[in-house]
Amino acid sequence: MIFSSLEHILTHISFSVVSIVISIRLIILLINESAGLYDSSEKGIKTTFVCITGLLVTRWIYSRHLPLSDLYESLIFLSWSLSIICMVPYLKKNINHLSAITAPSVIFTQGFATSGFLTETHQSVILVPALQSHWLMMHVSMMVLGYAALLCGSLLSVALIVITFRKVIRAFEKKNNDSFSFDEIQYMNERNNVLWNISLISSRNYYRSQLIQQLDHWSYRIIGIGFLFLTIGILSGAVWANEAWGSYWNWDPKETWAFITWTIFAIYLHIRTNKNFEGVNSAIVASMGFLIIWICYFGVNLLGIGLHSYGSFTLTSN
Amino acid sequence: MEALNPSLTKTLFFKSYPLRSTFTPQLVPYIAKTQRLHGSRVLSFALTCKLKTPQDVNNKDKTVSKKIVLSDTAPPLEEEGGGGTGNGKVPAKSRSGGGVMRLVKRFPRRVLTILSNLPLAIGEMFTVAVLMALGTFIDQGEAPDFYFQKFPEENPVLGFFTWRWVLTLGFDHMYSSPIFLGTLVLLGASLMACTYTTQIPLVKVARRWKFLSSTEAIRKQEYSDILPRASIQDLGVILMGSGYEVFLKGPSLYAFKGLAGRFAPIGVHLAMLLIMAGGTLSAVGSFRGLVTVPQGLNFVVGDVLGPSGFLSTPTEAFNTEVHVNRFFMDYYDSGEVLQFHTDLSLFDLDGKEVMRKTISVNDPLRFGGITIYQTDWSFSALQILKNDEGPFNLAMAPLKLNGDKKLFGTFLPVGDAESPSVKGISMLARDLQSIVLYDQEGKFVGVRRPSSKLPIDIDGTKIVIVDAIGSSGLDLKTDPGVPVVYAGFGALMLTTCISYLSHSQIWALQDGTTVIVGGKTNRAKGEFPEEMNCLLDRVPEIVESSLSKEASRNSG
Repeated sequence: MIFSSLEHILTHISFSVVSIVISIRLIILLINESAGLYDSSEKGIKTTFVCITGLLVTRWIYSRHLPLSDLYESLIFLSWSLSIICMVPYLKKNINHLSAITAPSVIFTQGFATSGFLTETHQSVILVPALQSHWLMMHVSMMVLGYAALLCGSLLSVALIVITFRKVIRAFEKKNNDSFSFDEIQYMNERNNVLWNISLISSRNYYRSQLIQQLDHWSYRIIGIGFLFLTIGILSGAVWANEAWGSYWNWDPKETWAFITWTIFAIYLHIRTNKNFEGVNSAIVASMGFLIIWICYFGVNLLGIGLHSYGSFTLTSN
Repeated sequence: MEALNPSLTKTLFFKSYPLRSTFTPQLVPYIAKTQRLHGSRVLSFALTCKLKTPQDVNNKDKTVSKKIVLSDTAPPLEEEGGGGTGNGKVPAKSRSGGGVMRLVKRFPRRVLTILSNLPLAIGEMFTVAVLMALGTFIDQGEAPDFYFQKFPEENPVLGFFTWRWVLTLGFDHMYSSPIFLGTLVLLGASLMACTYTTQIPLVKVARRWKFLSSTEAIRKQEYSDILPRASIQDLGVILMGSGYEVFLKGPSLYAFKGLAGRFAPIGVHLAMLLIMAGGTLSAVGSFRGLVTVPQGLNFVVGDVLGPSGFLSTPTEAFNTEVHVNRFFMDYYDSGEVLQFHTDLSLFDLDGKEVMRKTISVNDPLRFGGITIYQTDWSFSALQILKNDEGPFNLAMAPLKLNGDKKLFGTFLPVGDAESPSVKGISMLARDLQSIVLYDQEGKFVGVRRPSSKLPIDIDGTKIVIVDAIGSSGLDLKTDPGVPVVYAGFGALMLTTCISYLSHSQIWALQDGTTVIVGGKTNRAKGEFPEEMNCLLDRVPEIVESSLSKEASRNSG
């Protein structure tokens, strides 16, 4: 009883703190940069992280198994991983605006986890026989960490697309009004030679192009990490499946979608190796990946098909 | 500062000697070639360099001349391969062949060039992804009638997609359809071609140990900076301290870190090929079989296993007989199943027990290449005493099997069993631990546990439930592909991790008292300038007194 009320309190604290953090971050991003606000949002993210950690530990203690056995628990773990990824920029001290884009994903997952959709699954359930393995920790934590990193990285790419397209539209609008904007379009093409063009264009555009470069780079790095986790997760899952289900690959819908996700991000990484494709093209692939992760993570579970839909696994009785 | 310097240079050389020796075999052909072509130029260049760096000459004469040769020849080579793909290098080699030979050679080379084309590879990956996604939307492995109903011709999905598409293209068994497998094979071919024509030349270029001797070349790098009043030796020590391999030759410095990050993508591709090969081996050379055995009965492994491909060959172990000693379940306090266990004994042809193990989900039995998994269960029979007679075995019939909610039932006729309207006691069970009993009218009477031995009276018939006999659902397989696939998995995990490393290269040139530093990296482009700034901040500034000595030493 104590545990469940503690869990309740922690859920609500983390949810409210993360929403405050997001509003602060948005204020910083859109209106002005102030050190005080920045500090408070940093503290907020840390508080969220501590709360979600507490939540997971509480659940772990009273259910006596790793809290990764169903959708609700994995969602909490997802928001925990997302909050870690949001904290990394703070630790690195060199990117200020990126977590404003990634932090809302914490609130969405946390909000969804605590909302009414999943009320039946809030009760900590027993671990079905197939899940009683040491691979559970390795496989699920790696998969969820991978999803979290890939989600963050592809969100940054989505932001990049939004900013770039707004710029293109604005550039074309300007072109209709006066002829001087030709410089701006040229500048867009020669983004790398920012310093050379800086005298011709306003500082606001310079700031934006810097932002685009940062987004581009960091989405690449974060997706790289996520791809690594996803690879380890899928492979450990395959080894586990060979222990539990009798084959390392069963073409189960969840497996297949995880593999599709992997393929999409492999395409992303390959596009990045080619200098001609960099930037927007790779960002489009990454935002496709964003949708596919959600299909993989939710869609398959909601349909309740295949071996991964726990709660309807053939071996459980009652 | 002056007192420190000699010792520092000593450590520098100590560090770079072993590395240099590993690089020498590579250098030899270049040396030989250049000496034949323009030996005089090399000599003159060596002389000028000797003048510039007397310190190095004192240390080791031979190495200096060798290094100079390298610095003379490396730049043109670098320009050739520096384009990135290394494709330009391949035709140059084939030019040596004769006319007919060239035609024969050119065809595979053209195929290679097409296959290693990046957009094609991306297209293949995309096709694989789309086909897999389609495979999850279309129900797999159903009878044709199912597709006639699901994708009718009168009302096609998206206006064109009917059952004809599904059955003609083999989308009803997507993951073994020719289209899907063909795309995978093509992808595998692309992997090989790309590794051969693009990645290996790239690594050759990256491994080349090159100095940049002009200020412009260094300034052209992605990152560049100028350090006034600094010494290149200090920079070298600092770079070494942060994990760089440093090479120093007179006024030029070359340092790199994370070379493994360049090699690893090749490893990733090879690991993928290994996994594909293992998967193919699994598909053509394995046996599978499913069996449901009631507790206490036997089966022979070879009777259960069926071959999956043309390479499947039975082994000696197929004669093994398996006896199910016991099948039982563990329960939580709340009544849910904790785990399924089956106690198995294996007997060889002579009837000798060769192995005994209690298997459970996640803990299979492995014997002679055969793996036995616990995957399913069923309710075989109910043992009862009727009015203290018996025991009778009542066969349990599965009433509902879909999903995790299993339901089994049996019927005990009461009175005249021959009459057309026979009535009796119904017994239903969801698992092996509690049996629900209903009387002749279908009304609920009570629940009994097989272990309790507690009699229940139903309209004058006394019934004792003695035992509930389960049967174990076992999955058997042999798979020769598993070791190969696992090797691929291990390699893939390792190389993907290493691939995250960024290969950073730094060049520096001492120009009087200033040091020009330039560098580039292939992945961590955001962090690299920051790391460089941090490192360069630590390079000590040389004060005037030592500066003059440094300058005089350089000129002398």
